[in-house]
Amino acid sequence: MLVADFEVARREFPVRLAVQAEAGERLAILGPSGAGKTTCLEAMAGLLPLSAGRISLEGRQLSRAAEPGSDVRAGHRGVGLLRQRPGLFPHLTVLENICYPPGASPARARQTASRMGLDGLLDVRPRGLSGGEAQRVALCRTLQTDARLLCLDEPFSSLDSALGIELLELVRRELVEVSAVLVTHQLGEAQAFADRVIVLARGQVLQVAGPRELVLRPNSARVAEMVGYRGFLRCGSQVLAIHPERVHALGRQDGAGGISARVVKVRPEGGRVDAEVEAEGEWIGRFHCRFDEAPELGSTLLFGAPDAPQFSGAEALLD
Amino acid sequence: MIVPPTPAAVRGSGIRASTGAALLGALIVWVALLGPLIALLAHLTPGAVVSALRQPGAFQPLVVSVLASLIALAVILLLGTPLAYLLARGRLPFPRLWEVGVILPLLTPPLVIGLLLIFMVGPNTAIGVALGHLNLSASDTFLALVVAEVYEAVPYYVLGAAAAFAGVEPELEEAATLLGDGRWRTWRRVTVPLAAPGLATALAITWARAMGAFGAVLIIAYHPFGLPMQIWVTLQETGLSSALPFALVLLLVALPLPVAAYLWSARARRRL
Repeated sequence: MLVADFEVARREFPVRLAVQAEAGERLAILGPSGAGKTTCLEAMAGLLPLSAGRISLEGRQLSRAAEPGSDVRAGHRGVGLLRQRPGLFPHLTVLENICYPPGASPARARQTASRMGLDGLLDVRPRGLSGGEAQRVALCRTLQTDARLLCLDEPFSSLDSALGIELLELVRRELVEVSAVLVTHQLGEAQAFADRVIVLARGQVLQVAGPRELVLRPNSARVAEMVGYRGFLRCGSQVLAIHPERVHALGRQDGAGGISARVVKVRPEGGRVDAEVEAEGEWIGRFHCRFDEAPELGSTLLFGAPDAPQFSGAEALLD
Repeated sequence: MIVPPTPAAVRGSGIRASTGAALLGALIVWVALLGPLIALLAHLTPGAVVSALRQPGAFQPLVVSVLASLIALAVILLLGTPLAYLLARGRLPFPRLWEVGVILPLLTPPLVIGLLLIFMVGPNTAIGVALGHLNLSASDTFLALVVAEVYEAVPYYVLGAAAAFAGVEPELEEAATLLGDGRWRTWRRVTVPLAAPGLATALAITWARAMGAFGAVLIIAYHPFGLPMQIWVTLQETGLSSALPFALVLLLVALPLPVAAYLWSARARRRL
């Protein structure tokens, strides 16, 4: 079990994280650039000292701010870290890279490489690899360290999104009873990978929730915005958050129980029409309809947004 | 009818003309740089080389130069490598100050270095007195020759090695650490192999500079004669034709290592 409850001092703001993960559980830290996501991973991997709190893994204390001298060194704490740049050693072949960790067994390395589809590349040098292949080699190499926690620092963000998701699936398959923390700024990646998603902004955890719950029930307007809500409509003292993929057209007349919105864009897309709507000057979403049901540009329609989360007006004031 | 050339064709011929001019310029520089070597070989007959080297004690300056340069190289390697690495990684406080300290011997004329060394390690200085207690002297001795060679050659190594280390991405050292390597293992398995081509070039240049050190040597290590001093004294006493065979020997000993190291490092760089 991972127990991480710590603070890392940074020049702009301190980064705080408090989370526990069962063995084999997958977490994702979601947040914008500069939120402190990578800092969290570097602290867990032992590359940064803690200014408060502690980190332990499977009952073994790794870092404790009160006793900095007792920190377990990076590379000796059972924590692997995969970064966006795979960090393969250019003077070694793929197999030599995979066998790099002290004590790595060549036979086991070959087995893992084979499962990951790297059979034909073992004698190649890293400069001959594609981005996806290089990341698979880096993952394969990290797995040879017998890490009990794998930290993934947006390792697939430079690849196209389909390949990124495929590689995250590969990570999920390869990790048995190994916890993992993925850092990403893409909600889709976090949802595809994680059992729980931690939303981080300016060094603070805003919400920890399952990937579905996070989108259905964001606990603040800030989280709502980060998970894709685009329209924030005032309803008295409350603000209603509208997710563009969770609105549907009700009809063409005004009435109770719906949101009155103006059609601002209509364009054909394949065999259907794609329309976008605004309410109170806020873009609230996009919906599709048949050609014969296409709304007129500028017309007003009634929309439903079932279970749209509401926040108090003061709290919902966004930057 | 005359068809005016298209803009692309004009550009093409312009590029060809400028490439030709650049090649000609490069050729002139290349021939000019090799000119002295060609002239030396043109003036020497095999008989003159053999007779000069058959004189009693002719090999002694070669032995002295090679030994002193090997020791100087070892000292520079041992003391200069950590400095070069720390400079490359920006881990020294006031880095500009350190860089100035490294570059200063490079900017100072070698004769002046020799004069300054007298004030530092001469017989009447604190270091000179301390050496005297150990029955050593850094004035007109083999030790003085090594000291002078170190001072003349060390900046070439530190600057070259620092550039070589700076070319090793810190992320790769971090990756090695995260995979379980300690600092020394990372150094041995990642840093040095990746910096090796640049380190080899730096070492080769340093070797050539140490073998050819003359200015500072003339001031603090007139004796024992190394090859450059032998060339100078022979030139003064018996003229150019007697000095030329020693010049050839110096080139034959000093140059193969740098040339081989350069060729190896160029090949190694291509493989990375």
